[in-house]
Amino acid sequence: MSEWLDSAIARAQGIDDWLAPKRAHALDLLAKTSWPTRKTEAWRYTPLRPVERSTAKAITDTVTLLPTAIADFSAIELVFANGRFDASQLESNLPEGLSVSLGRDLTEAEQSAALGVFSTIKPERHIFGLVNDALAEDVLVVSVAEGVQIDQPIRISSLLSEGAESHTRVQVNLAAGSSLTVIEDVQSHGDSLLTAFVEYQVAANAILEHYRFALQTGNNIAIGGSHFNLLDHAKMHSTIVGFGSDLSRLDTDIIHAGKYADAKLNAMYLLDGKELFDLHATVEHASPNGTTEENVRCIVADRARAVFNGRIHIHPDAQKTLAELNNRNLLLSDKAEINTKPELEIYADDVKCAHGATVAQIDKQALYYLQTRGVSRARAQVMLNFGFINELIDLMPNAALAEWVRPMIRERFLQMEVN
Amino acid sequence: MTEQIDKALAREYEAGFVSDVESETFAPGLDEDVIRRISAMKGEPEWMLEWRLSAFREWLEMEEPDWALVDYPKVDFQAISYYSAPKSMKDKPKSLDEVDPELLRTYEKLGIPLIEQQMLAGIAVDAVFDSVSVVTTFREKLEEAGVIFCPISEAIHKHPDLVKKYIGSVVPKKDNYYAALNCAVFTDGSFVYIPKGTRCPMELSTYFRINEQNTGQFERTLIIADEGSHVSYLEGCTAPQRDENQLHAAVVELVAMDNAEIKYSTVQNWYPGDENGKGGIYNFVTKRGICHTSAKISWTQVETGSSVTWKYPSCILKGDNSVGEFYSVALTRGRQQADTGTKMIHLGKNTKSTIITKGISAGRSNNSYRGLVRMNPGAHGARNFTQCDSLLIGDQCGAHTFPYVESRNPSAIIEHEATTSKVSDEQMFLCRQRGLDPEKAVSMIVNGFCKEVFKELPMEFAVEAGKLLEISLEGSVG
Amino acid sequence: MSNTKSLLTIQDLHASVEEKKIIKGLNLDVKAGEVHAIMGPNGAGKSTLGYVLSGRDGYSVESGSATLDGKDLLEMETEERARAGLFLAFQYPVEIPGVSNLEFLKASVDAQREARGEDAITSAEFLKEAKAACKQVNLPVSFLKRGVNEGFSGGEKKRNELMQMLLLKPKLCILDETDSGLDIDALQVVAEGVNSQRSADRSFIVVTHYQRLLDYIKPDFVHVLSDGKIVKSGDASLALELEAQGYAWLQKEPAEDELEG
Repeated sequence: MSEWLDSAIARAQGIDDWLAPKRAHALDLLAKTSWPTRKTEAWRYTPLRPVERSTAKAITDTVTLLPTAIADFSAIELVFANGRFDASQLESNLPEGLSVSLGRDLTEAEQSAALGVFSTIKPERHIFGLVNDALAEDVLVVSVAEGVQIDQPIRISSLLSEGAESHTRVQVNLAAGSSLTVIEDVQSHGDSLLTAFVEYQVAANAILEHYRFALQTGNNIAIGGSHFNLLDHAKMHSTIVGFGSDLSRLDTDIIHAGKYADAKLNAMYLLDGKELFDLHATVEHASPNGTTEENVRCIVADRARAVFNGRIHIHPDAQKTLAELNNRNLLLSDKAEINTKPELEIYADDVKCAHGATVAQIDKQALYYLQTRGVSRARAQVMLNFGFINELIDLMPNAALAEWVRPMIRERFLQMEVN
Repeated sequence: MTEQIDKALAREYEAGFVSDVESETFAPGLDEDVIRRISAMKGEPEWMLEWRLSAFREWLEMEEPDWALVDYPKVDFQAISYYSAPKSMKDKPKSLDEVDPELLRTYEKLGIPLIEQQMLAGIAVDAVFDSVSVVTTFREKLEEAGVIFCPISEAIHKHPDLVKKYIGSVVPKKDNYYAALNCAVFTDGSFVYIPKGTRCPMELSTYFRINEQNTGQFERTLIIADEGSHVSYLEGCTAPQRDENQLHAAVVELVAMDNAEIKYSTVQNWYPGDENGKGGIYNFVTKRGICHTSAKISWTQVETGSSVTWKYPSCILKGDNSVGEFYSVALTRGRQQADTGTKMIHLGKNTKSTIITKGISAGRSNNSYRGLVRMNPGAHGARNFTQCDSLLIGDQCGAHTFPYVESRNPSAIIEHEATTSKVSDEQMFLCRQRGLDPEKAVSMIVNGFCKEVFKELPMEFAVEAGKLLEISLEGSVG
Repeated sequence: MSNTKSLLTIQDLHASVEEKKIIKGLNLDVKAGEVHAIMGPNGAGKSTLGYVLSGRDGYSVESGSATLDGKDLLEMETEERARAGLFLAFQYPVEIPGVSNLEFLKASVDAQREARGEDAITSAEFLKEAKAACKQVNLPVSFLKRGVNEGFSGGEKKRNELMQMLLLKPKLCILDETDSGLDIDALQVVAEGVNSQRSADRSFIVVTHYQRLLDYIKPDFVHVLSDGKIVKSGDASLALELEAQGYAWLQKEPAEDELEG
């Protein structure tokens, strides 16, 4: 057992609100869950020592923290400062058909609808998801009405002061035929600990464009999840960009609950120093005719460690599923480490599923070629690394976001410890 | 300890155990006393007994692994008898007329020669006159080459230094639950030593290892290929093997010294149980080899039997430039469950490994590939290539892939690919349009699917394996 | 050429794929030794006819009849039809990885011999025949060892189909757009192969979109298939007429004189 978990459970006992039954259930499950160790499959390569040692504390004073500005990009800003939703930063004139409110402010009927979704998409196996169930106080519910296309993206920012521990939670409901773009972003300032979970209910024919930026570095702990439930003919396109930190762990779950759903997931992460980044991506094909395409690329330098688990699970009725996972990794240093585990679990015969994983270093021939053309070795390495990731940046549907991320990634490559 | 012995003795009386050490079967149960008696029956030296006992003590502290994707009722290790004397001549069938005709029908289909049929069916050896002379010539040839090929129980007496040095050196006593159990209670198995620079003059096959009837459920094999030597070893056979023992926990250790090469081929066709999975064999095997400098170990397996298979033949690529290979066909049908794969642990520079697996699932079976490729920091320039393909026949079965890929060396290259498919309607139509019935068409397509692995098998084994697949698939096409 | 015995007789055939009607009342009579060309625009149902006659899953016959040598084709399984002497040369032959051409062909030939009550052919004899067939269709003998169609070019696949035909010696060969994707040299090889197999007791249905192939394989009859029916029949000159005028004029005209072949 961990002191950290004990204290989290103790703090949760004091919360009594509309989510009480969900919180009680989570605490029940937590009581039965043992603290993950190396022998816990989901945490095999990711030790939780940083959490055990964390000195981060909940901060109750109200502070104003501002999300990063992005050129040529304006979004409807949903800002959590140290876990508190800052309503003052939310624009007052929301587009028609879009509603944003704290769960506690919803009508009873709305609350009951939100409760029906809460923690049903995020699987119960995520131990920090349960902690979040119990501890996230300002739970935000975002809904798009049937058939409404919201053009302006929504950005959910979890912002933390130095030394802060916070837990943020959002539920996003896309009604049938609607469309929405959501960006999840995190910024923290050292010694912080964050759990941030978002559940997406994507109804029939709805379209979700999703981004999750996990760009905090250094001695921050960020554990979170993005969980998607796709109904008939729903579509989602998700892009994940991650830098590592003391401990960065992200779980995504894509559930094809309806038939003919379509999911694309592109994830890239670039690790340096002693960073760790752990991505667990699970796709559940529970209905027929779904398609999934996943591309995960990772570059690890210096003493960093990358972990990837990509599970595709085809349920017995999910005939005619097409699912593909491609995982490519570059290891740049002899102190760095990559652990990857693509998994297929298939119970339907008329499906096409494949995964591929490679671990390698930069193509020596390409490197040599560039050097013969007068490019310095270091520069050539950056170019080649960048090309590897750039292919995925090019697939980002939002150009402003792509142009925001691109120079940051280039900058990171320039700093990377290569040998 | 005395308490345990007392308990065991009490149980013996309950079970009505009549102690006649020469010829009887032990009463069910496992404790140190049982191990002492096994060791005594074999007339083992003290060191061997101590080794067994220390393994047993480790085992008591261990837990049965539960991470494999297999589901079976818990094994009651106290309900198993750990020693059973070989059947006497008079209990064995005198001729093939006395053998289960179902078994003979399958032998026929596999095209197994009559002599071998007699051996497989356990015909009393004096009735199998010809085969004895086959075995004799065989032994003479090996002796000439200086190759030692004998039961491990014999090796413990005749070659104690070799056994002492290498037993448990590749699979440590407490490697895993079943391996520890095997160390404590193994009854017999093969021992092979190939001297330096020697190419074993023939393929060594368990067929021809006499005294091996009834090696029982805890078989132990140790193969040592000294520097620059070469050996090909065939284990099992394509014929269905019936066995009263439900639990099998074998251990195989291979040692390939510098520049040596060991090729180990297995065809496993133990009883898979009935359509509901009742009565089949649990096959929990630990197989591992260590490769020294420029050595090569190649595992090839065709797994069609057993109700539950838990098996990961592995290579530790310790020496620079060493090579590990794993080629596998695993076919499951009915209610069979197989969780099988390999581990390639790259320690040395420029080590190379290749993994090719073909899983075929039919009926209500589940077939999983589980593998680990690890590049340690010293594995400069190491390479791995893995290809795992699964084929599903019918919509009630499962095909799974769980590869662990771990790299800690930037100059190592790992490539892993996995695909899942079914026998396509187009392929079936083409075959049938040319006049083949659906069953023949499926078995032909499945055999083609497995070709990359079959070509690694010794010739006659490959032909039999193809036929075995065909027979195993009978009735799988709906 | 025999003019007496009908080999294939199709009467008022209606067939559909995934509930979509494709063949809508087709009549055709092919006598032993005859070569019939079936031409028509894309989507007319040309390939469907071959699939229906050979009994492909998913192609269901709604009404009508088809007999081969007096036997009801439609009652038979796909492999039984093959053993009864029906051969379909595919437009897009599928690959069967790992199964060698030789193994596949020997199994097919043996299955058909067995159905006729003959003994399996010896491997040596078969290899001799297979090598000769390779030579005849201009495929290197090494192709016998390769996986069925595995990594073959389009032209090689077509020649491989023809080689199978030579070895199986069917009574009725349906060539489904065998000319598509072939250059002129390959086309000649295919045509020579077919011509060499023409005999008094073997018939061909040559399905093609273009007249080109018929320069080399002279048909006895040409039929135009449009919207699931034969809308016009004639002799070899009809093909030339179609080449010159296209299909559009026929699609407007009601079919009146459906010639019995």
